[in-house]
Amino acid sequence: MTTTERPSRSKERQSPQMVDMAWDPITRIIGNLGIHTKIDFANREVAECYSTSSLFRGYSVFMKGKDPRDAGFITSRICGICGDNHTTCSDYAQQMAYGIKPPPLAEHIVNLGEAAEYMFDHTLFQDNLVFVDFCEAMVKDTNPSVLAQAENTPAPQAGVHGYRTIADIMRAFNPFEGEVYKQALVISRITREMYCTMGGRHVHPSTLYPGGVGTMPQPNTFTDYLSRLVKVLDFVKQSVAMNDDVFDFFYEALPGYEEVGRRRVMLGCWGSFQNPDFCDYRYETMNDWGRRMFVTPGIIVDGELVTNKLVDINLGMRILLGSSYYEDWVGEEPFVTHDPLGNPVDMRHPWNQTTVPQPQKRDFEGNYSWVMSPRWYDRTSGQHLALDTGGGPLARLWSTALNGLVDTPYVKATGHSVRISLPKSEQLPETTLEWRIPRWNNTLERNRARQYFVAYAAAMAFQFVEEAMTLVRAGETKTFTDFEVPEEAVGCGFHEAVRGVLSHHLVIKDKKIANYHPYPPTPWNASPRDSYGTPGPYEDAVQGQPIFEENGADDFKGVDIMRTVRSFDPCLPCGVHMYLGNGNELRQLHSPTFGAIHG
Amino acid sequence: MGQIRVGRPDAKPDMSAHIDGTRQGNEGPAESQPGHHRSGTSDARRSTGVHWKKHDAILPAMPNISPG
Repeated sequence: MTTTERPSRSKERQSPQMVDMAWDPITRIIGNLGIHTKIDFANREVAECYSTSSLFRGYSVFMKGKDPRDAGFITSRICGICGDNHTTCSDYAQQMAYGIKPPPLAEHIVNLGEAAEYMFDHTLFQDNLVFVDFCEAMVKDTNPSVLAQAENTPAPQAGVHGYRTIADIMRAFNPFEGEVYKQALVISRITREMYCTMGGRHVHPSTLYPGGVGTMPQPNTFTDYLSRLVKVLDFVKQSVAMNDDVFDFFYEALPGYEEVGRRRVMLGCWGSFQNPDFCDYRYETMNDWGRRMFVTPGIIVDGELVTNKLVDINLGMRILLGSSYYEDWVGEEPFVTHDPLGNPVDMRHPWNQTTVPQPQKRDFEGNYSWVMSPRWYDRTSGQHLALDTGGGPLARLWSTALNGLVDTPYVKATGHSVRISLPKSEQLPETTLEWRIPRWNNTLERNRARQYFVAYAAAMAFQFVEEAMTLVRAGETKTFTDFEVPEEAVGCGFHEAVRGVLSHHLVIKDKKIANYHPYPPTPWNASPRDSYGTPGPYEDAVQGQPIFEENGADDFKGVDIMRTVRSFDPCLPCGVHMYLGNGNELRQLHSPTFGAIHG
Repeated sequence: MGQIRVGRPDAKPDMSAHIDGTRQGNEGPAESQPGHHRSGTSDARRSTGVHWKKHDAILPAMPNISPG
């Protein structure tokens, strides 16, 4: 089976006391995600879980017939937080289709923008959204005994972050008033400014095009970026320390917490940060330049690297139906029967997919989501693997560490860990952080990896700034390569959106888009049960997880389940690619943050 | 669109973004502007065009840094 096997529990099982619990929609994430569960309160575990989305958007439908050069600008609107990831990925796919390679300086500018994006988005999500589940107010509501213990537990890295006890850190996480919460808002502003110096605008960049960038590469473009980067460095170092302290404390205070959100290690990473010395965007050489990326692509199953070849990753992609509101497209005409290397391309591959929506009533026995079920076909085992992205950072760090290919002055992959060196900042000295491959793919490790990846992005940004400045000093200021749109072409772009794998598949006919399919991280993570009955990663992670919350069925908040779902960094606007409601009414509602009101 | 009833499209999705007669940035400024070289590199004269002849480095050993 491709699902997670749970360890048999030693304690005697009681007769189940099932209660239906649903969170629909879930707050503090983007889009309409619903989690419907059956909770067994007698044995304190989740018995069943269904992940559902009530949102359909249809990008793959309305992209058809458009000018391919517009694809980056249109697909950027898929997301309101990682839109630039889509522009970048679309440009990668177009560059392959047009047969062009941007000048190195343009590549550095794109990388710098993406590094700032990772720093911005992870910080905002981690400190302002995830940590609300770990803050003093929430823990007081759900696990008062844990808070009492936190009050008396000194924080091991108090010297770095300045909070004496774990409870002090948790107080700093309190929404709207906690120190870390407020500081994170300032940091996300600075990091967005960094993005804007490169992309012109955030999140829908105005200066990123296929073939290069329109950013004016003045020396002060890079010094403006650098000065902001140095400014946020103290916060990055401190937050890694705070994260480690809090998550280690949870393992200690709640023995068995590693089972929360644990899932079999089936991670996918499509790689990020192109290396301009090697990347030529040709499909034929994709395996080589893919491995040279500064975040190495890879598929990891049970802790072993299955492949790091982008061609294999590409050809293994299968979009399954099973529980989604769509008609099957196998009877349609395929667009791409063979890839540029002559390998056959499956009918269920995004290049051949046709989106035929079929709105219907939600039925958990049948179809219940607008999200399809992307899977990766493993030729050796013949299984369709429900890969997850570990919220993005976990898979990126894991793949980079295991591959051991990244070796730069600031970041080094060792085969079992990633070493990240950050220079001296205002308050803290030069620091080397080491992220080690964890024992589990679970809720806490997904969250822990996020902050390490902020440090990773910051470290890589130093290198990109240095290389870009060297080019500018040498007068190598070209940032654009000319191109013609071909009559017919195919292209694919592989990138990492903030919350995980991102691919764009493009087919051009008569200089127009014949087919376009973006596959962002959330379809992988939030996918429903596929045609083989395999549950999607959220469902798999939540199903069978123990409940540690001290509240009973009456005042149950479901914090453990929410922690698990949020650890994947759910983002539903990218999960389904037009809302077909009853009317055209658009209502703006404001719902206060869960846990904000406390005494 | 499957069985969904949709209206008649009133957009021209493949209308070109480029308007004929407008100078395309693709051609590059090497011919018309000082400071831009055919190789794609640039030097200090790629400034604002004000006193551009005086923007070169005063000694060959000095870097002729492009303003961007």
